[in-house]
Amino acid sequence: MRFSTLILKNILRRKTRSAFTVLGISIGIATIIALGAVMNGMTVSMEGMLKSGKADFSVAQSGISDLSFSRVSENRTNEILELDGVKNTAGALIGFYSVGDNPFVLTWGVEKEDFPMLSINIINGSAFSQEYELLIGAVASKEWNKTVGDKLILKEKEFNITGIFESGSIYQDKGVMLSLKKLQEMQNQEGYVTIIYVELEEGASIEEVCQRVEEEFPDLVTIKSVAELGKVDKGLELMDAATLAISFLAVIIGGIGVTNTIMMSVYERTREMGVLRAVGWTKKRILIMILGESILLCLFSVLIGSLLGFLGTELLTLQPIIGGLLEPLYTVDTFARAFVVAFTVGLIGGVYPAYRASKLSPSEALRYE
Amino acid sequence: MNKIISVKNLVKTFEGGRVRALNGVNLGVSEGEFIAIMGPSGCGKSTLLHVLGGLESPTSGEVLVCGVDLCRAKKLDSFRARKIGFIFQLHNLISVLTARENVQMPMFELKLSSKERNEKAEKLLRLVGLEDRMDFVSPKLSGGQRQKVAIARALANEPRILLVDEPTGNLDSASGHEIIQIFEELNKDGRTIVLVTHDKEIAEHTSTIYHMKDGQISEK
Repeated sequence: MRFSTLILKNILRRKTRSAFTVLGISIGIATIIALGAVMNGMTVSMEGMLKSGKADFSVAQSGISDLSFSRVSENRTNEILELDGVKNTAGALIGFYSVGDNPFVLTWGVEKEDFPMLSINIINGSAFSQEYELLIGAVASKEWNKTVGDKLILKEKEFNITGIFESGSIYQDKGVMLSLKKLQEMQNQEGYVTIIYVELEEGASIEEVCQRVEEEFPDLVTIKSVAELGKVDKGLELMDAATLAISFLAVIIGGIGVTNTIMMSVYERTREMGVLRAVGWTKKRILIMILGESILLCLFSVLIGSLLGFLGTELLTLQPIIGGLLEPLYTVDTFARAFVVAFTVGLIGGVYPAYRASKLSPSEALRYE
Repeated sequence: MNKIISVKNLVKTFEGGRVRALNGVNLGVSEGEFIAIMGPSGCGKSTLLHVLGGLESPTSGEVLVCGVDLCRAKKLDSFRARKIGFIFQLHNLISVLTARENVQMPMFELKLSSKERNEKAEKLLRLVGLEDRMDFVSPKLSGGQRQKVAIARALANEPRILLVDEPTGNLDSASGHEIIQIFEELNKDGRTIVLVTHDKEIAEHTSTIYHMKDGQISEK
């Protein structure tokens, strides 16, 4: 028999108690997985909005807490284009409209001349040319079962679908695209865009151009990568902080649960500890055995919690209100964080009972009734 | 003959000296001897056994076991693992483990592979006549069979001394007789055995009987 087999058998002695402990920690792990996946999905979504097509960086209003609140004068598009090193610019207005069951369909207002820069590829039909015409993304086309020639109601107005587009960004491809002028009118934002995409000339320094933009237009902020997202969106930072707080709570609550379970197990097996010491087991081996039981319980929780987190998130995204807004993304990092949390819970929760068990006097333990 | 156990003026007190369990015990046991210690409950028999096995440290006196001075020795775990085999009245087997697995418990402190541990456990269980019960968990074994597993476990690391505390106390006479026969066989192979018992009939199987009373020992 291996030492690890003994640890496993010890956990399985009290199946119900172990199962409830695992379940308790699993809920914390599931929350970490779900929040992590949602946050990753939102990050990719934001990245899709910030780095569209050939754009090297994007520009938004400074001092905002959410990118959708950004309001930049359309004139800035031409002013930035005049800066040294800038090859092309494209302004886009972003809005959210209800389509069918989905209340948050991402709606883009862009000039069709900017399609090449934004890598908008029309795979069926043609671009909009009239006021009440629009394109829908390839993913949206499948989800809504609509194609070229069909009608789409947007803000109580009927639009003709003139084409289906693909951009490579799932969030754009789940949305709708119409002329910038029309969306500005629908949103009462004439003369304004949400974001300006900037493509640089070959050899131009992104750092220098960004610095120049921010110096010349103090009302603007540049975003080179998703790492700088915090400049225009605090939502993800808040969510990250919430995930950390939940991880911390999971460690504390889970740790107390594990300590209780393992402590009870140690009390019940006091006499057994005495026997093991009598047959020559060292304090260290007793310590490792008890810590091993605690850590193994938590590793089971990672497996079950990950599964629960995945299933829970997928169930949530089946709801149109959530599914239309975000696409959860499961990364190794998310699972690694869950693993680290569980391992820490196991370690912290097991330390005290393991210490107590190792410190038992063998003679007293043998007399324990 | 060499004394494998040598005890001089051994005193063991508890509760800050209020309880004097051993009160100047002197005892010498030769290598290969099979002795019994008899006496009423609470006279200090089990405490003496625990001191000899390194489970309790002496309060004063001199205790030499297998050449190890137990008053000064630091690594008593290693001493217990290699020199001593304990057998208790309550077999104290781990209930979720099979006979084969229980016997392997002391072997974790030796550098043996899982396969070697398993082979050794099988050999020991055959020795005590449990070849057909190796994969039974202890609740599925009779009292006598459990005590045989406990004997096999005590022999796992080939100790020079067996310290046996009331091994037949919970057994019927037939099972008790079987157990004492195993001890006789082990003693014939040269194993030193110190047996604590209430049972005079069991004690008569040994070469020397000591009597304990009020923490003191005398040869009967």
